[in-house]
Amino acid sequence: MMMLWGHELRLFLRQRIAVPALLLMLALSCASVWAGLAEVARQREVIERIQPKQAKDEAAIAAWVAKEGDVGNAAYYTFHATWDSPSSLAFAALGQRDIAPFVLRVRALPLESQINESENYNAELALPGRFDWAFVLTYLAPLLLIALLHDLFSAEREAGRAVLLGVMARSTRALWLRRIVLRAGLLLLALLVPFIVGAVIAGSTAAMTAIVAGIAAAYFLFWIALCLLIARMKLASLANAASLAMIWLAITLVLPGLALLAVNQAIPVQQGVELTLAQREAVHAGWDKPKAATMQAFVRDHPEWKDKATFTGGFHWKWYHAFHYLGDRAVGEQVKAYRTGLEARDAWTRKAGLVLPPVGVQVVIHRLARTDLAAQLAYQDRIRTFHAALRRFYYPYIFNETPFRTEDFAKAPRWPAQKTGQLATASQERK
Amino acid sequence: MHETMTQATSTNAELATHLLAENSSPPPIEITDLRLVRGSRTVLNGLSIKVSRGEIYALLGGNGAGKSTTLSAILGFLEPDSGVIRVGGFDPVLEPDRARTQVAYLPENVALYDQLSAYENIAYFLALSGREPGRSEMDGALDAAGLQHEARERRVAGYSKGMRQKVAIAMAVLRDVPVLLLDEPTSGLDPRATADFNALLNVLKARGTAILMVTHDLLGAADCADRIGFLAQGSIVDEVRPSEGIDVLALHHRYGERTAA
Repeated sequence: MMMLWGHELRLFLRQRIAVPALLLMLALSCASVWAGLAEVARQREVIERIQPKQAKDEAAIAAWVAKEGDVGNAAYYTFHATWDSPSSLAFAALGQRDIAPFVLRVRALPLESQINESENYNAELALPGRFDWAFVLTYLAPLLLIALLHDLFSAEREAGRAVLLGVMARSTRALWLRRIVLRAGLLLLALLVPFIVGAVIAGSTAAMTAIVAGIAAAYFLFWIALCLLIARMKLASLANAASLAMIWLAITLVLPGLALLAVNQAIPVQQGVELTLAQREAVHAGWDKPKAATMQAFVRDHPEWKDKATFTGGFHWKWYHAFHYLGDRAVGEQVKAYRTGLEARDAWTRKAGLVLPPVGVQVVIHRLARTDLAAQLAYQDRIRTFHAALRRFYYPYIFNETPFRTEDFAKAPRWPAQKTGQLATASQERK
Repeated sequence: MHETMTQATSTNAELATHLLAENSSPPPIEITDLRLVRGSRTVLNGLSIKVSRGEIYALLGGNGAGKSTTLSAILGFLEPDSGVIRVGGFDPVLEPDRARTQVAYLPENVALYDQLSAYENIAYFLALSGREPGRSEMDGALDAAGLQHEARERRVAGYSKGMRQKVAIAMAVLRDVPVLLLDEPTSGLDPRATADFNALLNVLKARGTAILMVTHDLLGAADCADRIGFLAQGSIVDEVRPSEGIDVLALHHRYGERTAA
């Protein structure tokens, strides 16, 4: 039995296209893994770099604010760093990390304009994006698989060996199965080995690595099935290759593109920048509204400050923060609709993935790598929670008119270094 | 003495049993009343042939007479509309894998893997049929087929038609199966190689192989076949035994008459 595998391997490797195809697959996979690891390392480096810079920036503001102890200045000028650390699989599928911010410095001022500075859209359905391993798996590996399998039967027929093979082989089924396993298996190996090395370097778990490898194998099976389906038509090798190339074009590019258009058409979503503008307009309108009405509206949501909502003079940070808060609230429904729209588009993308395997593979891998829209929205949710904590931290100083000293800076909420979603809010309950 | 006699008696008994079994076993190739229709055309129409162990049967016929179709049906690649085919006792349609274990086949145009040498081609094809011949065994078969030594390690991409045919002949010899099917076996061979080939057929015949060849070459068939069947319109219209002393001219005349009828 092993003897037959050895013969098949020699036969395959001596084919003109075999070694170049395998080397190309290996090179593409290596390059994509390297590019992914480099990008993730860059993002980690940015995240690490921002923390000392943040401390330096904060110290400079503290030195200046401490002179007068004005909390308004502290809240206005202090940016608080947030970041979304890449998962150990992000190197393989950068997804939204390529187009959405992974670091965002926020102030205690209105959040929506800060958070929506970048757009979100269905990256899964976007036409070829960044060169990463998921891209190589989804778009390029099928082409090489087609190159190796399109003439599996037809080449033997065209060369006149089919009859001799049929007569000599004890089992023709086993013969073809061996050839398919060898061709597709070696190609899969060339694709997976760099990925596995990358996963080890990135610290991914064995289970997660195995799941991704399983997905890649399943995707290969899909393309093998397509190749066999076309082979059943008994066309010439060239016709097989052309048919498979057309199918590749249709299901990896054209149909996902059309699906993207259809989803965008069916679920219109306001752009993030429109939200930002709407929020900014609402905030700016606050300057011209009666102060009493503004404060009244604010205390409706914050009854705990009802007794502290009065002030004298033309400008007060209480009023300033109140109308900024109301600016966020004014676009609350739009924000909700924007979010719902994005989630609905994402849901349709997942549905498209059920019928379009290339989309499905991307959806699953990006989910596993936590680089999909859901991960990006989860990061936004953590920012919102953090921002709420910032407000809860500053409001007692603002409404109690407590001087803000250097040591108070250290009491501000901190973005959790490791586990996102939990806030280091030593003083968040302070009022 | 007594021991020697007992041994001799036992050997004779074994031989007798063996011969009895041989005589009672079905002929390696047995085709009975075969009918095969392709589209609106009846390609084989009541064809019946039996080829015994150690017999060479040449099937002669013009283009479209059904020669290649007969081979395809024996190999199980075509399903007959009616009639019976048995190869080594197996039905090639119902038991194709078992039937093919009984058959070696030499196509008219031998296509090998260009990227492999003669040795590697033989090793590969024989591995498919479950055999693993050693280098000396392969050399023996290639010597018998007449392929020169210096060519054997070379990739077959540069081989002539005759050289490829010799590799295929060596494969057929090495398979050592009861049935050998030959499709225009000498069409690519020069006269000397043809003579070598005929000698090789006689070796296989002596080994008990049933050989069925389809050919246009009446002279070649007369040289080596025990029986020659004239195939016309899908059935055997005449059969001759060259051993009965028919001269070539008469054979040509008879063939022309029968197949034109």
